[in-house]
Amino acid sequence: MFNSCTDIACNNIFAWLNQGPLTLTIILHTIIVLPMFFIYFQEKKRLTEDSKQS
Amino acid sequence: MLAKTNLKYESQKLAINYFTVAVVLFGAQLLMGLIAAAQYLFPSFLYGVFDFNISRMVHINAMVVWMLYAMIGSVYYLLPEESGKEVVGLKFGKIAFWVLTLAVTVVVLVYIFVQIGPADMKTIWFINEGREYIEAPRWADIGIVAVVLVFYYNVFATYQKGKKTGILNVLVADLFALAGLYLCGMFFTDNVSIDQYWWWWVIHLWVEATWEVFVGAIAGFALIKIINAKREIVEMWLWIEVLMLFGSGIMGLGHHYFWIGTPEYWWEIGALFSSLEPVPLVAMFVHVLYDWGREKGHSDAKGEKSPLRNSPAMAWLALNAIGNFLGAGIWGFFHTLPQVNIYTHGTQFTAAHGHLAFFGAYATILTGMIYIAIQGLVGIERVKMTTKTKLSIAFISLGVLGMTVALTIAGYEQTLVERADLGGGWDAYFIAQNLPWYVQAQGWRFAMGVVTFIGYILLVWDMLTINKAQKEGV
Amino acid sequence: MDDKKTSVWTSIRFWRRSAAWVTGMAVVLLMILTFDTMKQVRMGTDEELKHGIKRRVPSPTVINYHISYRYDENRGVEVPVIGKKELLFGKEYSPKEAQELLHLGKLTFQAKDCIDCHTILGNGSYYAPDLTKAWLDPKWNDGTMISMTDSKTKEEAMVKFLMNPKDYRTHERMMPNLGITKKEAMALVAFLKHTSAIDTNGFPRNFSQASRRLEGGTNAR
Repeated sequence: MFNSCTDIACNNIFAWLNQGPLTLTIILHTIIVLPMFFIYFQEKKRLTEDSKQS
Repeated sequence: MLAKTNLKYESQKLAINYFTVAVVLFGAQLLMGLIAAAQYLFPSFLYGVFDFNISRMVHINAMVVWMLYAMIGSVYYLLPEESGKEVVGLKFGKIAFWVLTLAVTVVVLVYIFVQIGPADMKTIWFINEGREYIEAPRWADIGIVAVVLVFYYNVFATYQKGKKTGILNVLVADLFALAGLYLCGMFFTDNVSIDQYWWWWVIHLWVEATWEVFVGAIAGFALIKIINAKREIVEMWLWIEVLMLFGSGIMGLGHHYFWIGTPEYWWEIGALFSSLEPVPLVAMFVHVLYDWGREKGHSDAKGEKSPLRNSPAMAWLALNAIGNFLGAGIWGFFHTLPQVNIYTHGTQFTAAHGHLAFFGAYATILTGMIYIAIQGLVGIERVKMTTKTKLSIAFISLGVLGMTVALTIAGYEQTLVERADLGGGWDAYFIAQNLPWYVQAQGWRFAMGVVTFIGYILLVWDMLTINKAQKEGV
Repeated sequence: MDDKKTSVWTSIRFWRRSAAWVTGMAVVLLMILTFDTMKQVRMGTDEELKHGIKRRVPSPTVINYHISYRYDENRGVEVPVIGKKELLFGKEYSPKEAQELLHLGKLTFQAKDCIDCHTILGNGSYYAPDLTKAWLDPKWNDGTMISMTDSKTKEEAMVKFLMNPKDYRTHERMMPNLGITKKEAMALVAFLKHTSAIDTNGFPRNFSQASRRLEGGTNAR
């Protein structure tokens, strides 16, 4: 499951992250999608306040 | 040509010019495709006069250019309606149209009559850049950039002045990226890996990101226009589509970086991101059908007439929803994983995917837009399908699907025999090319190409006569 | 019914902001990855080659060496192996000469529109064989083409073929004469030799192995 890097150049973050099972791509997906949680709660707060006012 | 008096806006008249050239180039694409397909079956056909590389190059370039023409035309058509303002600086846009058309004509003539040149930079500048899909010589590249700048100025200035709808927000941002990406293909390098790295920025980030988002925006406009879909719903879907298309498509670029000399970590990135690329295509499919059903339900409940105001355009739009998912989504996913792609890369599999994806994702919706423009041109409330519309849709869909299936079989055979069994190379290649399954598949591809071409003739015929048919009553 | 108003899932603003975030983040990541990849695929130098430092895209002077393509236990794929000196056209090219030759070769490759029949690194058209490892193809190495073109070395055979492919026909589908000069043909050979030394992560897999084993046949025939 975990394979040490065998690529030609291993001295970079991506090659290092690439050593686990899908770790690299999952981390990249997470970085991309994670801010959506923050946006979600921010929007939720805003909408709740809006509905209270009206 | 039809009179343009019914069109409310000047820019819509310009759009008709763009659509006209697009349809002509569509025909050129199909003719060149037939020549190339015939050359697979009869290698001596036009050998030494108009070789496969030329027919294939013009085939693909005509396709890219007609789609760009139809895309520009679509924008000029919908922009004033969306923003509520006549397009700003249109006289430059009109000049740009003629400049672009002249440039395209010269490029095609040079492709056909000069074809290739000696190995120096003059060839790259004036004859042929020799890079797949973007073979246009450098002078034409610069011309295209200039024309696109004018076009973008038209769009942006109008956007600034008029109503800023969600569809326009997406469109303006997307067109900026689309135009900017072309610059990535305008340099020469000795390093073939770097060459292909940036080349994919143009090709992939066009067809699997910015063009797809463009389609989403156009489809939104068309839904509002054709079935009076609710703008809020359309725009919410549009943003979801943008999110998913760009979220998967931009990093999905990795699936082109498996074997071109780039590091191994692209395997994983390309695999998962591009596996998610079909998801937004499902969403688009669901969205179109959902809105259609919804509006139909409303009008049925009220006992009104069908909400369909342009049934040919709606038919092409529905075909787009299916074709995009099937061609780009399913056929793309077939060979996107590196474990599979190491055997399928560079086989007819890619050609099969290319045929269905370009047709399903782009040709369909742009044809739909042309029908919307025809409706505007005629100035009637409702456009109904004629027999020719139905026949042309049937012939073209059957033809393209048939070509795709034939090429998939050819690609499958090639993958197994040439790659998996024999390991590639000169002999392996020709052994696989000469096997009966492959040869038969190429025969079917040619036959289906002819079917597609018949459909094209019906399509053009229908486009020219549909207004008369409407007046006489279908 | 108040709940419905606060549903974020139907809020256009939420989706718009999310779309902007996701797109922006994907672009930023792609740029970072691009910087790293560019560093890794830049062309190596002659010094690196001499000291046996592996590069994905080696120095142009790799044309002075023997190149093979062998399975690497560690990586699980085939990789190009740069061996002892093996001169091209009986000449040792200096870094500058090799660079110039490679430049002319790549230029020829584009000027003759090779990519609209062949593929290279698997990309291109599918009307003719892939050229990624053309230099290592058994056809050039098992004597077939050398004897057909009446040459002494494989590079000589390649040059003769490229200048006049019509005269050395192997299949019904054949390459047309493209007006390639001798100089251009030599440069193309250098370009193809250099390309065969690019580390393609094992593409094409099992290159030409079975076609040799089965002596050009397959069970499917």
